[in-house]
Amino acid sequence: MKKKVISVVLASAMAMTLAACGGAAPAAEAPAAEAPAAEETTEEAAPAEEAPAAEEAAEAPAAGPYDPASAGDVTIGFGWWGNQVRDEVTKAATDHFTELYPNVTFNLNAQTWNDYWAQMTSFSSSDTLPDLMQQDYAYFEQWVEAGDLLDLTPYVESGALDLSKLPESIVQTGVSASDGHIYAVCAGMNAPGLSYNKTLTDELGIEVPDNMTWDQFVDISREIYEKSGVGVLWHNLNSENPITYFARGKGHEALFTTEGVTVTPEEMTEYYTRLKTGVEEGWLFSTEKCASVDMATIPQHPLVFGSDPSVRSWCAFNFSNQYLAFANAAEADGIELGITSWPEDNPTQANYLKPSQFFSITTDTKNPDLAVAVLNYLINDVEANTLLRAERGIPANTEVAAAIAEEVSKVDASYPIIVDYLDFVGDNSSAIFPPLPGYAGTVNTDVIQHLTEEALDPASSETAEDLGAAFVDEANQVASSY
Amino acid sequence: MDKQRSLRQRLGEEHVAGYIFSSPFIFGFLMFMLIPMVMSLYFSFCKYDIQNPATFIGFKNYIDIFHDKSFWKALRVTVYYAFVGTPLKVIFALIVALILARDTKLTGFYRASYYLPSIIGGSVAVAILWRRMFEPTGTINALLSVLFPGMTNFNWFGEKSAIWVLIVLTVWQFGSSMLIFLSALKQINRELYEAAMVDGANKWKQFWKVTLPLLTPTVFFNLVQQTINSFLAFTQSKLITDGQPKDSTLFYTLYVYRKAFPSMGKSQMGYASALAWIMLIIISTVTALLFWSRSKWVYEE
Repeated sequence: MKKKVISVVLASAMAMTLAACGGAAPAAEAPAAEAPAAEETTEEAAPAEEAPAAEEAAEAPAAGPYDPASAGDVTIGFGWWGNQVRDEVTKAATDHFTELYPNVTFNLNAQTWNDYWAQMTSFSSSDTLPDLMQQDYAYFEQWVEAGDLLDLTPYVESGALDLSKLPESIVQTGVSASDGHIYAVCAGMNAPGLSYNKTLTDELGIEVPDNMTWDQFVDISREIYEKSGVGVLWHNLNSENPITYFARGKGHEALFTTEGVTVTPEEMTEYYTRLKTGVEEGWLFSTEKCASVDMATIPQHPLVFGSDPSVRSWCAFNFSNQYLAFANAAEADGIELGITSWPEDNPTQANYLKPSQFFSITTDTKNPDLAVAVLNYLINDVEANTLLRAERGIPANTEVAAAIAEEVSKVDASYPIIVDYLDFVGDNSSAIFPPLPGYAGTVNTDVIQHLTEEALDPASSETAEDLGAAFVDEANQVASSY
Repeated sequence: MDKQRSLRQRLGEEHVAGYIFSSPFIFGFLMFMLIPMVMSLYFSFCKYDIQNPATFIGFKNYIDIFHDKSFWKALRVTVYYAFVGTPLKVIFALIVALILARDTKLTGFYRASYYLPSIIGGSVAVAILWRRMFEPTGTINALLSVLFPGMTNFNWFGEKSAIWVLIVLTVWQFGSSMLIFLSALKQINRELYEAAMVDGANKWKQFWKVTLPLLTPTVFFNLVQQTINSFLAFTQSKLITDGQPKDSTLFYTLYVYRKAFPSMGKSQMGYASALAWIMLIIISTVTALLFWSRSKWVYEE
């Protein structure tokens, strides 16, 4: 702590000197602001010369990999959303980095999905974002737009960040449409996946087929509900995922465009009719029942938690990488899980492979070179990825993915199941929708949430037609006022 | 002559020392109250998403708010919570205070233990505990199924009952009101009771004719304080129910928070600031009304 205070004081002193030395006023402004960044990396070196040099380095990184040992004693901030398992594996991977380079320590910041974005937004306003932040395919354009993410293209060109082992199509998912530069690197691959209670379906003698249509899913859910009283918990109420999947099944090429949503009121009427029917028949959790269970933390999810059939769900709509955490929780509950595709008509058109999440470096970083080195380690290091246990999805680096398969399978019996499932999705899917425009998140919170709550409320006076029309109307209104 | 006084002497001067001693407060007030308030007033007239600079849009936020269904819903929920929860809490505090007013050996212990919930009641830990207790398979239902066989798995987090889970929590935190009542009870002149007894008033009559009138200033104080607290309640709504189901427990403060720090999409900080200023006006009005009603029912000696 003391050391940090001293370095900050030193850094600000440096900044003052720099500002005083720089003759031309406008030119002096920028290095002065950047100086603290440079300073912390070069504490032991002669500061006066080093600071401007490092400042240049931020714009044009030195060729080849950067040696983290040369960074001096620094702390790298790393923020992500996730779950207990992710927190543990990420800590293991960063601890290993500290073992390799004892001068680098980490300040880890783990949140749930819902709290993560709120926290990061406030960090962004005070320019205190962690050096490394986990990003989402849906929202990273919004962060590029706000100028919070570091352009990684120069580092890729210099060789400091090696993306050569990643398939080009996956590298492309981290490219911003605004300027064609790389702002995010895929942390792992996943696909939508329906985790289900295999112990229960086996007991009831029910076969859960891959590529289920909606009607098949309804039949199975109904049968399970009648025989055991176990229901179905729908997606998060404020999620666009089920509607995206539905739209894909209908053959759309995107759900959101800059003008608004692509789905028609008639299509959405069909969508809301499905939910209403499920609640009427009893197998789908109503709004009130959703409120009484914990949907946000995996160990308490009704798929794996609850002492009464009435609060249990036989399946969970999630993504394949979450299967690992669910399987861990299921083991504690004494049940075995299976994984298959989300139910939808035209299942092979609806399903898709997706970068599960990204790692980005923020513009608030004081040590861009070191942060890039850490990122490079997370993406390309075999040991790091063994420790990460593919919890964020199957590594995008194909060589690493092959190298860790055996080790990870030893620790996690569920890993081969995920690999098989992704192979299956690879053969039974179509290309992912483009990243979402900036207003889409607001549609989730301000439109989708309350309409889903109406649809799942058996006492609601709104018909499926009302809800279908309201969805298109309200979403387009959010788009036009963005 | 003046100029030759030492620094030490200057610091010793009364008005200088006063400013020095109050400077921590002045600093805190400026940094954490006044400046943020002025900023939020400005932002309430802006479109502002935190990540990008604010743009001035005049009264648009305020106009939009009046067409916002969620705003009206949140306002209804909060007013219901404040106007049902607060009187219940004050009445409960008064009853417990009356019971504990008599001095026995264990009174001190009881007072302390009944006060405890109001220290920890607003905390995150209690919120999570409360959530677990009222879950379908939680403690409350387990107890009820023993007392009333056949009553199992009642969903406390239904649209009608969820707000009551929160009201019960606020009533449970009656401790600080209770302490204020206790000290007020002690100040009532014993002679008044003796005089009432001589006039033939029983305990019941004594309460209505002597105790309660003399306690009205305290009731008033507790009512004002707790009403304001209820309007500002946040933790319970955020952690126990997260506003669900169907916004039936969406407290106003939670709605402001969601607009300012949404779980997805861009922050609407300008809109949230406008909401906060409307809240200020509402609380001021309610408090003013309470003060206006004071002359009608509060007994002043």
